[in-house]
Amino acid sequence: MADGNAVSDNALRDEVRGWLADNWKGLPKPQPGPGGAGWGISPQHKAWLEQVVDARWAALRWPSEWFGRGLPDAQARIVEREFAAVGAPGTGQDRTNLWANTALAHASPTFKAKIVPALLKSQVNMCLLYSEPGAGSDLAGIRTRADRQGDHFVVNGQKVWTSGAATADYGMLIARTDWDVPKHRGISFFFCPMKQPGVEVRPLHQITGESHFNEVFITDAIVPAENLLGPLGGGWGVLQTALAYERSVMGDGARGPRSGVAEATNEEPLIALAREAGVLDDPVIRQEIAKAIAYKKLNALNNARAKADLSQGTSSSIMSLGKLAMSRILHEEARVRTLILGAGSLLEGKDYPRAEDANFLTLNAYFTSIGGGTDQIQRNIIGERVLGLPKEPEVDRDAPFRQVRGNT
Amino acid sequence: MNHGETQVATIAAEDLTALTDSLHRLLQDRSAEADVRRTMETPSGYDPELWRQLAEMGVVGLVIDEAYGGVGAGAVELERVMEEAGGALLCAPLISSAVLAAGLIHALGDEPTKTRLLPSIADGSRIATVALAGANGGWTADDVAVTAAAAAGDGWTLSGAASFVTHGQVADVILVVAKAPDGLVVFEVEPPATGLTIKPLPTFDHSLRLAELSFTATPARRLPATGPAWAAVEAALDLVRVALAGEQAGGAKRTLEFTVDYAKTRAQFGRLIGSFQAIKHMAADLLLESESATSAARAAARSLADADKGAPAAISLAAFACADAFSTITATAIQMHGGIAFTWAHPAHLYLRRARADAQLFGSPAAYRERYLEALGA
Repeated sequence: MADGNAVSDNALRDEVRGWLADNWKGLPKPQPGPGGAGWGISPQHKAWLEQVVDARWAALRWPSEWFGRGLPDAQARIVEREFAAVGAPGTGQDRTNLWANTALAHASPTFKAKIVPALLKSQVNMCLLYSEPGAGSDLAGIRTRADRQGDHFVVNGQKVWTSGAATADYGMLIARTDWDVPKHRGISFFFCPMKQPGVEVRPLHQITGESHFNEVFITDAIVPAENLLGPLGGGWGVLQTALAYERSVMGDGARGPRSGVAEATNEEPLIALAREAGVLDDPVIRQEIAKAIAYKKLNALNNARAKADLSQGTSSSIMSLGKLAMSRILHEEARVRTLILGAGSLLEGKDYPRAEDANFLTLNAYFTSIGGGTDQIQRNIIGERVLGLPKEPEVDRDAPFRQVRGNT
Repeated sequence: MNHGETQVATIAAEDLTALTDSLHRLLQDRSAEADVRRTMETPSGYDPELWRQLAEMGVVGLVIDEAYGGVGAGAVELERVMEEAGGALLCAPLISSAVLAAGLIHALGDEPTKTRLLPSIADGSRIATVALAGANGGWTADDVAVTAAAAAGDGWTLSGAASFVTHGQVADVILVVAKAPDGLVVFEVEPPATGLTIKPLPTFDHSLRLAELSFTATPARRLPATGPAWAAVEAALDLVRVALAGEQAGGAKRTLEFTVDYAKTRAQFGRLIGSFQAIKHMAADLLLESESATSAARAAARSLADADKGAPAAISLAAFACADAFSTITATAIQMHGGIAFTWAHPAHLYLRRARADAQLFGSPAAYRERYLEALGA
């Protein structure tokens, strides 16, 4: 995707270095958002993103008419490394900005012109309206409906596992627009305005005691027709684009302990914990600690090898394994923490931070092993797409959705 | 090979690919299942003609310096070659002679010893091994159960026993680690020798050769060393651990491949069994094990070749991760096949036997987990 004259690596590096030296002044430390959920983006951060987008550093591989420079991947990485070297955010969004990538690929021209710059500059907040109480692993079984009325769609239904719904300006919504075709073919994809009377957001109370997700009840909500992404009934294809971007950034973001009580640094947390608990010489515990650390290290080695494969142009099957690996890492680490603490894990509260951590991590591990597609669905994907095993027969795949049991 | 502090010997990436490609073809041709089954039941446990071809190809002399007739490659190349050997269940004294013995001779650093022994090891004309473990199969300095005593002139004699000596019954040269009055020392014995009995041990993995050696005032040549002999043994063992990890990763990968292939062709209940989640999910889990083993083995090889600070941890990690992966994959593969893999005629058990052997040779997974934690400072 060469755009006009090619620029040399050195000239590009000099240009970005010079620009960063002139413009990057650092940002204030991010603060937790309202209620401790998520991290708010400060006005200074937004102003910085605007600068980055306007200087066309935000999405280097994109063409120049879309805020990019049409750079090949290797050159884009040069710029991204320079940003990373000074700790400046905002570049690499052509790889990581799920919302902007999905909109750029599939939105109507009028909507795209409006939404893409706003997304790159984080001027609008977003959420995902995919899962429903009756459609989790079987996402194509959604029953939220969108009915065309003149220049807009009217949406009715219920969504779940929506993070950021309370502050979102738009939700990426999948809804059924045709009930008389098989389930994958009757779905359409929208940018649904969230700040309207027909959208009601209720927090979900998680097993960890936190509320990172919401239920969203949608009653006669209005979505302008120009907010339709891709063709009517072509939402499943758009969703695949969006999910691919989402998966590519997942796995980076597993959370650590939340007690906030510092653990010894420069040492594996499990080793530090066992040392502190006085059980580091227990040979059984040592074996378990070694296994748990190894899972983490092996995943890092797998990821490094996958990246090396990719940079040499060979695609790697290892990428698909990361989520499964991360689930095991998190569950095992929590299990070994509990083993180390023994009866100490019976307690909770701020006076018992190690127990808090072990118990929180035990529960929060399910965030990864269920969220974003359960590990069981991931095993299907690995089995079918990586190993080439035959698909499980699906009884409802080719039947009109209306005729499938439970859908009428 | 990389045994000095500054020397980084490697061969070019395209040469390595060419080598592993031709090795792959050779083993497809000469180490097919029927060849493995035939060779593993012979007394020597290897095919001399294939051994000659491996030597010609540079596989046997891979980590031996060019000055002594070898290729002068290092741990990275060795690991890749062993992935191929492991995949094909190669029956040969590759680790015994070309890695352990050759590695030890290099690490001892004595020029006359290298000149005398390495060329014939590199060209495959002589097979060497190392006698190290005691009766219980430990591979640590504490396990050494052979004692050396000074004899007339500058001669020495050895007494005691060494067990689990790989390819001890076919070796032309045996390097014996023994307790001398001044500490651990490596001696050279060429069988047959006075007072030396070599008793072949029956092995669960028929493709392996192990022997128990007993020494009664056996005359031996003391090998000089530029540093402590045990450090040289450890250096050689590190190379062996990387080689073994490569063999395990290669064996694990091949086992998963033929198991997945079977799940794509075997039908029950009117469906291919690979369409059942019961099978599919096992396969997905095994892929994670297999890829992790490959990553660990290659990272350990790179770490050893670069002699970096993390090498002890990386090598210990590969040792137990690859052993566990190969064991798990071969054990689960039999279950996934069902009855067919419970028959002697099916190859799955050959890989299981190799996996069980590789997981105990030179140290157990549990021992390597302990070493790993120690390397991490715990």
